[in-house]
Amino acid sequence: MSAFKLDIIASDRHFFSGDCNAIVLPAIDGEHGVLPGHEDMVTAIKSGEFRMQVDGEWKNVAVSDGFADIKPDSVVVIVDTAEWPEEIDINRAERARQRAEDKLRQRQSLREYYHTQAALSRAMARLKVTKK
Amino acid sequence: MANMREIRTRMKSIQDTMKITNAMYLISSSKLKQARKKLDNTMPYFNALTSTIADIMSLLPYDASYKYIEDGSNLIPEEKKRRLYIVMTADKGLAGAYNHNVLKMTEENLKKGENNVIFMIGQMGRNYFNRKNIVIDCEFLYIAQNPTLLRSRAVAESALDLFDSNEIDEVYIVFNKMINSMSCECETLKILPLERSAFEKKQGEYVHQATFSPSPKAVLQNLVPNYVKGIIYCALVEAFSSEQNSRMTAMESATNNAKDMLRDLSLIYNRARQAAITQEITEIVSGANSLSANSN
Repeated sequence: MSAFKLDIIASDRHFFSGDCNAIVLPAIDGEHGVLPGHEDMVTAIKSGEFRMQVDGEWKNVAVSDGFADIKPDSVVVIVDTAEWPEEIDINRAERARQRAEDKLRQRQSLREYYHTQAALSRAMARLKVTKK
Repeated sequence: MANMREIRTRMKSIQDTMKITNAMYLISSSKLKQARKKLDNTMPYFNALTSTIADIMSLLPYDASYKYIEDGSNLIPEEKKRRLYIVMTADKGLAGAYNHNVLKMTEENLKKGENNVIFMIGQMGRNYFNRKNIVIDCEFLYIAQNPTLLRSRAVAESALDLFDSNEIDEVYIVFNKMINSMSCECETLKILPLERSAFEKKQGEYVHQATFSPSPKAVLQNLVPNYVKGIIYCALVEAFSSEQNSRMTAMESATNNAKDMLRDLSLIYNRARQAAITQEITEIVSGANSLSANSN
């Protein structure tokens, strides 16, 4: 099975480094699948579920905003945070989701609105990854 | 000959000060350990961020101009440029030349043009500029103590707001950078607009272009704010680490100086004590001699 080198770098740690068969990343315009030999591409990532196939096995990762630099033989993903499902505190994510939803119902400034929306999508991404 | 009591009070006060400096040394060294760990964890992010952005800059098609990227079309003379400085100082002093270096460099930078905007992080810089009657346009409190992504996002957003509304032309950060584990150096880093030349690859290297999905504009719109936030976060972590480092060295040398002073003073003290004893003995002996001379 052909593979490419994948690096996932979060702001607080080098999250993952190793060979990978395929990834599906949450880009700003929808999900993007990347296989070995992909054309050179740069894309922005929004918070969501990041899937990668290592040794034939699919793994899920919750990522937040960042970007990806894709080359035929390597992919570098740079994100604010990246977490394995088992690292996520479901209760905390659930609380964050409720808090964000409550806030969205109230009147707020445009910047606050974007913040809340970002918080909501981060919480949703975490919850989605842990549901599997 | 100095008075013995005077020397003793002097020694006492030095000892008290030494206790404080020594305690501060211990505190900052334990804080430094945490800060260093955070810095080590952030370093790969910083390196990857800069190298990937460099890569992306070289891949960007040349046929259009982008808001965040310097393409030479901006022909404002140097002294007319509106510059934003994000200045990172500490909340507290007693850290050697740490704050002084940042403030000195900022003042030099401010001389380059008349249209300056200052974002201040940390109490020390704020007090300094207030004393000098230099207007600080935006202050961020509590950030210097505990750098987090969330807080650096607030700084980045305020800076980008100004940039987007075309109120400033350039964004710089002034901060202390760790050179190695023992020394740090002040640095001014330009973060916006991105320059192609700063990221230019070496000659002869394979040049290729990449697709930007969905479009270069959309990608940059998301990528640049992310980059700015990341760089600010890294700078904050770096600044915090070097703050603890310089405080530790400053307090260590203060403690050593106090020890030296105590050693010298205790020598003088002992000399004074001996002199006093000798004098007393001489007095007693001469008294006894005169007594025995009288009785004979």
